[in-house]
Amino acid sequence: MDPSNAIVIAVFLPFIVTWTLPLLYKVFKQRIGWIAAAIAFTCFALVAQVVPYTMAGTPIKDSWLWLPSAGLSFDIYGDGMAVLLALIVTGVGVIIMSYSTGYMSTKEDLPRYYQWLLLFMGAMLGVAFTDNTIQMFVFWELTSITSFMLIGYWRERPESIYGATKALLVTAGGGLFMFAGFLLLRIASGTYGISEVAGSSELLANVHDSELYVATLILIFIGAASKSAQGPFYIWLPNAMEAPTPVSAFLHSATMVKAGVYLVARMHPILSGTPEWLILVSGTGMFTMVMAGFLAFRQTDIKAILAYSTISQLAYLMTMYGYSTAEHPGLGFAAATFHLLNHSTFKATLFLVAGIVAHEAATRDIRKLGGLRKEMPKTFIVAVIAAASMAGVPPLNGFLSKEMFYETSLEIGHLVGGPWALIFPVVAVMGGVFTLMYSIKLIDGIFLGERTHDHDVPHHVHDAPLVMLAPAVFLVGLIIFFGLYPKFPIETLIQPAYSGLVPGAEHLHIKLWHGITTPFLMTVATFATGIILYRFYNGIAAWQNSFSARFPWISVNYYYDWTVNNARDVTHKISAVFQPGPIGPYIKASLLFMFFLAMVPLFYFHIPAGSILPAGMNFNAQPYEIVLYALMLVSALGAMIIPRYLPAVISLSALGFLVSLLYMYLKAPDLAMTQVCVETLSTIVFILVIMKMPQKFKEPMPMGKVMVNLLISGAVGFAVFAIMVNANVGMLGSFESFSQYFIEKSMAMTGGLNVVNVIVVDFRGYDTIGEISVLSLAALGVYNLILSRAGGAEGGEDE
Amino acid sequence: MNNTLLALTISLLFGMGTFLILRRDIMKVIIGFGIVSHAVNLYIVASGVFSEGKVPILEHGEHVNQGLVYNDNLANLAAGIVGPTTTAPYTEFVDPLVQALVLTAIVIGLATTAFILTLAYRIYEEYGTTDVQELRRLWG
Repeated sequence: MDPSNAIVIAVFLPFIVTWTLPLLYKVFKQRIGWIAAAIAFTCFALVAQVVPYTMAGTPIKDSWLWLPSAGLSFDIYGDGMAVLLALIVTGVGVIIMSYSTGYMSTKEDLPRYYQWLLLFMGAMLGVAFTDNTIQMFVFWELTSITSFMLIGYWRERPESIYGATKALLVTAGGGLFMFAGFLLLRIASGTYGISEVAGSSELLANVHDSELYVATLILIFIGAASKSAQGPFYIWLPNAMEAPTPVSAFLHSATMVKAGVYLVARMHPILSGTPEWLILVSGTGMFTMVMAGFLAFRQTDIKAILAYSTISQLAYLMTMYGYSTAEHPGLGFAAATFHLLNHSTFKATLFLVAGIVAHEAATRDIRKLGGLRKEMPKTFIVAVIAAASMAGVPPLNGFLSKEMFYETSLEIGHLVGGPWALIFPVVAVMGGVFTLMYSIKLIDGIFLGERTHDHDVPHHVHDAPLVMLAPAVFLVGLIIFFGLYPKFPIETLIQPAYSGLVPGAEHLHIKLWHGITTPFLMTVATFATGIILYRFYNGIAAWQNSFSARFPWISVNYYYDWTVNNARDVTHKISAVFQPGPIGPYIKASLLFMFFLAMVPLFYFHIPAGSILPAGMNFNAQPYEIVLYALMLVSALGAMIIPRYLPAVISLSALGFLVSLLYMYLKAPDLAMTQVCVETLSTIVFILVIMKMPQKFKEPMPMGKVMVNLLISGAVGFAVFAIMVNANVGMLGSFESFSQYFIEKSMAMTGGLNVVNVIVVDFRGYDTIGEISVLSLAALGVYNLILSRAGGAEGGEDE
Repeated sequence: MNNTLLALTISLLFGMGTFLILRRDIMKVIIGFGIVSHAVNLYIVASGVFSEGKVPILEHGEHVNQGLVYNDNLANLAAGIVGPTTTAPYTEFVDPLVQALVLTAIVIGLATTAFILTLAYRIYEEYGTTDVQELRRLWG
């Protein structure tokens, strides 16, 4: 298949299939997970077809018109990096969806679960293959939304709601910063295209020389950091663990959180190579790596430990992508990309193990678990290999990329010089030490030691069922394979990604054993320190707990909660003022607003004249006119002050007939006729309704309230009067109305003599269709209101 | 329309209707609604009446075609006038367009009146009151 078609199909297939899942569920029931896995596998196969092209160094580039008026097209760009991410997304997707068929109870709302998983997968593929920033933003926010839905999958649990809201606020909010950064990038470079900027030395120079460079970098990095839980934005990831465990394994360790790192890699050719990049990206990464690794100690939930570990590992990636100088822009790129792949394998495995343990032992609390190695031997082996890879034990893949991390840390330290030659490697080793310690804790806490006899844990814990174990075993196979034979992933995936985004990338040689070098000594130091310090693990955790109890305000979460809770309270207070509930205040406020809306311009326009009322008002009137006006006012007054309904309605009706008389005087015979008919009908409806009601409602009318109401209605009446008498003075320049067109064309175009009728049925026929629809809707509404009567025994009235 | 007494009448109607709308009794509110719609309709129709204008019904065989209508002139934009212009004021007939608009409004007014009356009736049936504040209290 044509590779660009394959990419487009892979991106949109999940979106299309997701709509059919509820139907498929009717046929396949709980086996629907296998359908979703098959879709993921199809996407994997489609993306895999692109690998030969990226290995040959010819990225796929294609473009379709999307919003030509806004200068936007749907651009895809399939280079090594995009293919790597897409293969991770679809590959882990297959594994997760198969695993879910065993993990998710058949009582759950499975179609919704797989729908959101597939939507997420499609959105991630969209992020991977996009080639313009607007498209990137759209798919990016789509991943945030699907993540929100999946974290909040168990809708009834308050923790899920809290976690989902937090994740959405942080990641989607960060996405908005990223969007602002993209717009700045557009200003600096003149295009929304990504590969277009990266491929043109002129545009690159524009971006780097622009005074917007730093702002662009910071804004885009905020987006990346919030998605990848870096720096202060880490707070959402631990709470996101409220999601079902397969979701955590998929979104919150292997794929979605990689989107931020991916963005950094994608922006690498455009923005890297400056001190700002090194300080911002590596600085944030190194800080996060150490802090998150350290904070993992006090966690007692397996998934929480894994969450902090994920934050710390993502920080490795950030740090390495940040290693960049003007001469060596892509110093840490290859190492970071390799670690990105490896992290997906071992971290997803560990999450799957966490899911198995929670499933079989009914708890994820590490204090209640322990000694499960005998009862769950297969799971134990899987977990040990994955944890060892995370800790960097040879000959697993984690060892290789950690060695590369140490090596590049030494190099960047050497290049920057001064004290940094020491600081970079030392911080890297610190990160490694913490990783080793919590890796040991995971195995120690779950599988080693004595079996605790907590009442939450069942007496006999079974090993994992095949459907849940097989995906984990497959991933462990990859961990070992990549470790023993790194040539394969390096040549097919890492080298193309590296060469595609770093100009002048050298050929990568990665061997398992390359003699006793400084990085190897650093690894040895890491192991020695980690194993010694592990004796103090519980002590450190206890100290962290007492510290956080003593200084609750030294915590990002403290400020997040403060902001969100205050926002909620303040909104509540404001809406309590502006939306008190009873309808009276709303009407009064609207009326007063309109009063000022009318009166302020009137005063403004009449300052020269000195008076709100124009000079030369015409008080001449025929006697019959005056009688008509007086009668109208009397009947309106009757409708206003008579307390009983029936006489009030009769007054209103009298007013209506008088109004039709007035229409005659105003030279509107059609209106007069219509008014007579309508008034008759509405009087009938009024009387039908009030027949069934009590004839009078004793409303308390305290004097003060009457005065206020009189004042408001007097002001409204005065405003109407002022507008009317001023209307023909000509505050605006006069221009002829459209009406003359109708008069002129009436006979010629329609043959109608009555111009009003011609307008209603001919010139403005669409308005009349609208009017008829309103009438039918009102009739339907009346009909349904009558039908909606509870019990419905009484005969309805007709209308 | 330069008829101060008519303007006064219409605005008094408007004020009385407003007073009723501010009441708590839902039936009074509906009656007030009716009065205000009368006032608004009259207001719009009155704005289209010129003192010498005829009823907008043509005589048989009368072809009004004076060729002075609709010279859309972009130069007028500079003068701040957005719309078709004629060289001379055209006041042979009163304005038919406002009448057509109000015709629609009257009919729609009937529909809405019927609807809110039925609604009021159903509210009375369900809650046993026509007091807006009482209803608010019942809903909590």
